[in-house]
Amino acid sequence: MPVAGSSGWPERRAAMEEWEYHPPPDIDATMVEHLRDFPRQPYMLVYAIRSAAAMLLRGWMRLYHRLEIAGRENLPEHGSFILVCNHTSHLDTLCMIASVPLKKIHRTFPAAAADYFFSSLPRTAVSAILINALPFDRKVKGAQSLSICAELLKNEGNVLIIFPEGTRTTNGEMGRFRSGIGRLVVGTDLAVIPCHLQGGFEAWPKGKLLPRPRKLRLRIGQARRYANLDKSAAAVNEICQDLRDRVAELGRLNA
Amino acid sequence: MTIDAALQSEIFLTYVKIIGGLLVFAGLAIGMLRVAGKDVSSIMRTYRGWLIMIPIVIGVIFLGRTATIFGVAILAIFGFKEFARATGLYDDWWLTGIVYISIAAIAVVTFVADPRLGTPGWYGLFMALPVYVISAILLVPILRNRAKGQLRQVALAIVGFVYFGWMFSHLGFLTNTANAYGYLLFLILAVEVNDIAAFTFGKLFGKRKLCENISPNKTIAGSLGAIGVSLVMPWLLWFSFPHLQPWHLIMAGLIVGIGGQLGDLVISFIKRDIGIKDMGAVIEGHGGILDRVDSMIFVAPLFFHAGRWFLGLA
Repeated sequence: MPVAGSSGWPERRAAMEEWEYHPPPDIDATMVEHLRDFPRQPYMLVYAIRSAAAMLLRGWMRLYHRLEIAGRENLPEHGSFILVCNHTSHLDTLCMIASVPLKKIHRTFPAAAADYFFSSLPRTAVSAILINALPFDRKVKGAQSLSICAELLKNEGNVLIIFPEGTRTTNGEMGRFRSGIGRLVVGTDLAVIPCHLQGGFEAWPKGKLLPRPRKLRLRIGQARRYANLDKSAAAVNEICQDLRDRVAELGRLNA
Repeated sequence: MTIDAALQSEIFLTYVKIIGGLLVFAGLAIGMLRVAGKDVSSIMRTYRGWLIMIPIVIGVIFLGRTATIFGVAILAIFGFKEFARATGLYDDWWLTGIVYISIAAIAVVTFVADPRLGTPGWYGLFMALPVYVISAILLVPILRNRAKGQLRQVALAIVGFVYFGWMFSHLGFLTNTANAYGYLLFLILAVEVNDIAAFTFGKLFGKRKLCENISPNKTIAGSLGAIGVSLVMPWLLWFSFPHLQPWHLIMAGLIVGIGGQLGDLVISFIKRDIGIKDMGAVIEGHGGILDRVDSMIFVAPLFFHAGRWFLGLA
């Protein structure tokens, strides 16, 4: 109904309530900047490619490497958690990705060395689109990268994949666990799930171009939580040692 | 339109020479400005953008009809995506996805032959497609049983599809005409020259603003200068469509001259309303896809339908 104005004549009402637009902050970013950006904006095309790649990956792992996964029931259904694994080859990341449910694939972030996986455009594209890697600065900005991880885990339903050794083994032996994982979980209720992959070193040793069709066995252990520990260097060391023991124990079961 | 046809087409080859010549000329002019001590860094970035875009566009047209239709569809999809991202429609993957698929459907309809007439391009369905797409878009809130904010989302999706998808895709439908090289290349060259003329005349003589609330840099002088240049262009490029009458040429000039600037202003007011400067940063020195093809979105359908009306195109 028209509203009577001061002149007694019906006046037009003001225009309808203004629409709010929400242009993303990265609207001026170039394609490379989009790929380097973290946390990532969700893109339909990227999700489609990543889902297709994840399905192909599962098929390939099963056929080529006869991947066996034991202990899948140990993965929590709700909440965020961290997967921790020994690091023998690039296959580790792929096995871990293949072990989480498909619907969680876009919320699974393998922490990957920024100086290697985000060094060139093709590598960045693969890391960001196919692997959904979290760029981890292992040299200068370690603390900053850890706080990005902590932020990520605060959101419900994210999965972080970490290789606490920090680099691939060159001799097949498991190396020292670096303190980052301990600092990340000390005094929090986050579930840390130790895993062990058997066969990765034989299948794809560091420096070889392509993997060989060796059998892979992934064993997923029970969740560990470190809520009762105080934030201290000793506690951090304790966590690293505990996780390393768990992974080693799974390794003995896996052998 | 095939590679062989392109190699034998006087029109195509002449355009390659003209556009190549213009690029060289522009490069020399920028070089001279630089020697004269002017700051050319921003013009240089724009020019580098052209150096990448022009070979791609000519290459796609050279490859033939399929590549051209595909290329227009890709531009339309990613252009729409910029719009969807800027407005926030992109958060709604159902509506965005429907528009993506619909733009792909336009490309298919442009490509296939009319089932009754056997002529290339299914014109009837091309024109009727918005009916089905708009119905599908309006169905989304109903199927989701959700009302809050849905008018806004649906309205954005419909504008996104009809303007950035369907209207722009008329450019692809020109590939189905007998004189495809002439029409396509004339449109591309004339629309870009119109843009550049508006900019140049505005810089040289511009005083009074054209639409200061939408685009503060546009002036009446620039606008009139561009229309003047655009009215001359069809006469210079008459070889592209020798069968056209002089009054057809005047009409083509007016469509490009006026339509091109309106298309520019449409994207400008959309950007102003949203509160952003550029639609993206895909092309160095040019902004997003929509910042580059803005004029063409408006001109292509008007040109196509004028041709259909008066010449019986397609």
